[in-house]
Amino acid sequence: MLAEVLTQLVIVISILLPIAIAVFIGRKRLARTRAEWRTRLRDVAPAIAVLLIVLLINRLARQRAPRLSREIGLHLTSELYNIEGEFILLFQSIATPETTAYFSLIYIYGYTFLLLFPPIAYFTLSETRTFRRLLTAYALNYVIGLVLYIFVIAYGPRNLMPAEVAETMLFDTNPQYRYLTREVNSNTNVFPSLHTSLSATVATFAAMTRSTFPKWFPVAVVLAASVAISTMFLGIHWGIDVVGGLLLAALCVTLSDRFVGRWSISEELSERYPQFEDRFPWVDRDE
Amino acid sequence: MNGRSAAPTRDSHGEDNGARSRRAMLAATAGLTVSAAGCLRLRDIVVPDNIDQLSLTITTIPADANRQNIQIARQLEKTLKAVGIDVSLDVRSKIDFRRTVLYDHDFDICIGRHPGGTDPDFLYEALYSRYADESGWQNPFGFTNLDIDELLKEQRNSEGKARREAVTAVLEEIATQQPFVPICLPEEHRVARADRFDGWNEGHPATRHGYLALEPSAGVDTLRVGHTDARPTENLNPIAPDYRHSGLITDLLYDSIATQNGTGEIQPWLAESYDWDDGAFDIRLREGCEFHDGEPVTAEDVAFTYRFLQDTSMGSHDTPSPTPRYRGHVDAVDVDSISIRNDDHRVELPIETTQTVGERALLVPILPAHIWREYATEIAGPGGPSVAQGTTEGIVTNNIPPIGSGPLQFESRTEGDQLLLERFESHFTRRPGVELPSLTVDECPIVVHPSSTTVAGVVQNDGADITSLPLDAHAIDGVEESGDVEVFESPSWSFCFLGFNTRKAPFSNPLFRQIIARLVDKETLCDEVFDGHARPIATPVTDKWVPESLEWDGRDPKMPFLGTDGEVDVEAAKIAFEDAGFRYDDQGRLRTRQ
Repeated sequence: MLAEVLTQLVIVISILLPIAIAVFIGRKRLARTRAEWRTRLRDVAPAIAVLLIVLLINRLARQRAPRLSREIGLHLTSELYNIEGEFILLFQSIATPETTAYFSLIYIYGYTFLLLFPPIAYFTLSETRTFRRLLTAYALNYVIGLVLYIFVIAYGPRNLMPAEVAETMLFDTNPQYRYLTREVNSNTNVFPSLHTSLSATVATFAAMTRSTFPKWFPVAVVLAASVAISTMFLGIHWGIDVVGGLLLAALCVTLSDRFVGRWSISEELSERYPQFEDRFPWVDRDE
Repeated sequence: MNGRSAAPTRDSHGEDNGARSRRAMLAATAGLTVSAAGCLRLRDIVVPDNIDQLSLTITTIPADANRQNIQIARQLEKTLKAVGIDVSLDVRSKIDFRRTVLYDHDFDICIGRHPGGTDPDFLYEALYSRYADESGWQNPFGFTNLDIDELLKEQRNSEGKARREAVTAVLEEIATQQPFVPICLPEEHRVARADRFDGWNEGHPATRHGYLALEPSAGVDTLRVGHTDARPTENLNPIAPDYRHSGLITDLLYDSIATQNGTGEIQPWLAESYDWDDGAFDIRLREGCEFHDGEPVTAEDVAFTYRFLQDTSMGSHDTPSPTPRYRGHVDAVDVDSISIRNDDHRVELPIETTQTVGERALLVPILPAHIWREYATEIAGPGGPSVAQGTTEGIVTNNIPPIGSGPLQFESRTEGDQLLLERFESHFTRRPGVELPSLTVDECPIVVHPSSTTVAGVVQNDGADITSLPLDAHAIDGVEESGDVEVFESPSWSFCFLGFNTRKAPFSNPLFRQIIARLVDKETLCDEVFDGHARPIATPVTDKWVPESLEWDGRDPKMPFLGTDGEVDVEAAKIAFEDAGFRYDDQGRLRTRQ
């Protein structure tokens, strides 16, 4: 089952990405990237490494975190439910088979695409800072999200109002996706919505780079908004989780600006310690 | 006990207990002086007294674990709010729910599934006063009633008609007292591959018999079990109630002296015979049985098991630390007088009840003494469950790998995903001449699937042979039968209940409990929440034992619903609360001293 769902995901994404690259990036930029990819890759390597380490920790923590969470976490389901009650059922008023299909596809495929395209797009920029900032923001989202997931034990609306959201509930309409989501998440990881925060992070970067990728900006915003709505429409997240996700996105974008230098680490190293360049000939600068 | 205030409190974490009692003290002293000055109103404003709106918490499990419980809880939440009670929900995972309710007793009202029993004696375990401070399925409600104690003991010490009368009396008294509200008996439906195995449902699939004696089609040597609960991949301790429900998997890994196929007769299993001999069972074990590690199963293991289950600390504490599962079963055994006869295969098990009740003691898993003796040590660690009488290793160990003597043995596991069991070749059921069902396949992978819907789909796509747990009610109607796929129903004795923590006011008040019981519309819940796949009950025993006075006749004979068609008659409910001595304020809030 998992293999089936994963294969579908890979196929869909590998169709979407080339189209998006052709439409949003353009041939000129791709040609320049082909010429400069080595230097750029060297500049962004630390950011990639950080993100990979964070993802790895996330992956390992999936085993350990639920137990730790059981020991030290706070049970906040009733608080979330007491505050907002049946708010998310508002979205049930737009429920039709079409909207359900749309939001289900957005939740799985739209979201994955939304996360994977920006790193490719920003890699084609001659300045590497946007790329490094984006990856750092991703990493921050995961780190802060993981910590919050350990401290907050809460179930999403589908676990409290199964009958009310049954029509649109992703795992009722498409039960096979449960195999995919249980690989990446436990059902008490609801606050904040990482779907929302990562999508909002992407949308914010799209806004910052809209002069370079003018066509991507509206697409990213529509996709991100759809992802945020889908989490509530499908009964997975509370409204508060989505608000939390938006705040987390704002925090991560801001922090990424603070953490990521104007220059890459390798550039800084060679500026501060020019002797490195002699010792490590591959650390050369050609800009 | 964890020192929570006895008053029902909305705060599920209890951080403000100190503040609360300080406030209460201030209120007491200040109230005295101010009211002495004849300014009662001012006192109320300046120092709020401790008479507040009743606020309670309903503890239950999320829809992922069981879709009905949370719906019942929310229905009750709406009803209670309508009658002026402040309610919040406490939703916990299956493991956490059981620790909260069964170990910590940290709840007001809980909604869950009770394992129930095929014999009404399970009520002795569930309600006997002496168990109120123990942990596990023994009296989690903290219920204490000396009349019911007497009746419970009486049915353990009488046979035939006298026992039936005692059971009827205790059931009626329980129905009046409502220490817990039995809501309904959900149906058990399972999906199985008819093309790969024959003989489904000959053995009850909630017992070991459901998986033995299946007739595989030619070339089939694997029994692929689709499970919807990841807990067995984390823990295989047969006495851990936070991880076990029916104990099916541990019953396949461990043998017991006797066995019971569903609601059938109890018959010899690990013992060749057990004769009733004037207040004791003369147990003759089968010769040559081994545990999965090759050690022989001896009379010593049997004696050890009963001693250990009555005191998991094996006498190292001043007070015994009893098992949180099988408590009612082993309580029938006089462990101090167990004697091992001439050879290693004969045990005399003295029983303090009648033979009928005593026979149930023979259903507990026989533990290897050479392994479990080490588990008698006390363990103090954060996180795990804790028992007031002393938490021993035996209670908290995950027991992986489990070493039993059962027809299946542990091979490997992947936490959260799957458990691989394989046939124990030297099990006695495989011997020629033994007329008992034996495992007909080589191995048995138990794979965890996320939900009833997915696992039913997997069976239909020939990815599994059976759904070991009953399908969730909402998934039953969606399963299509075909020549290759069979849907079958089995008798059920595990019931859905609403439990009160009778240690706390106002749940200690039977009048209050009766009104809550009357606010649950069991019939409508069965129709709407269980899609008709459950039937309402007024008493929690199997049909055979339901007295005429407690038969369901379109409504609860003792606690009829206060309303019609799921709609509570709010005025009638309020009058009922007032008649029971509770008060409402001018805003319609039910007020109690907290």
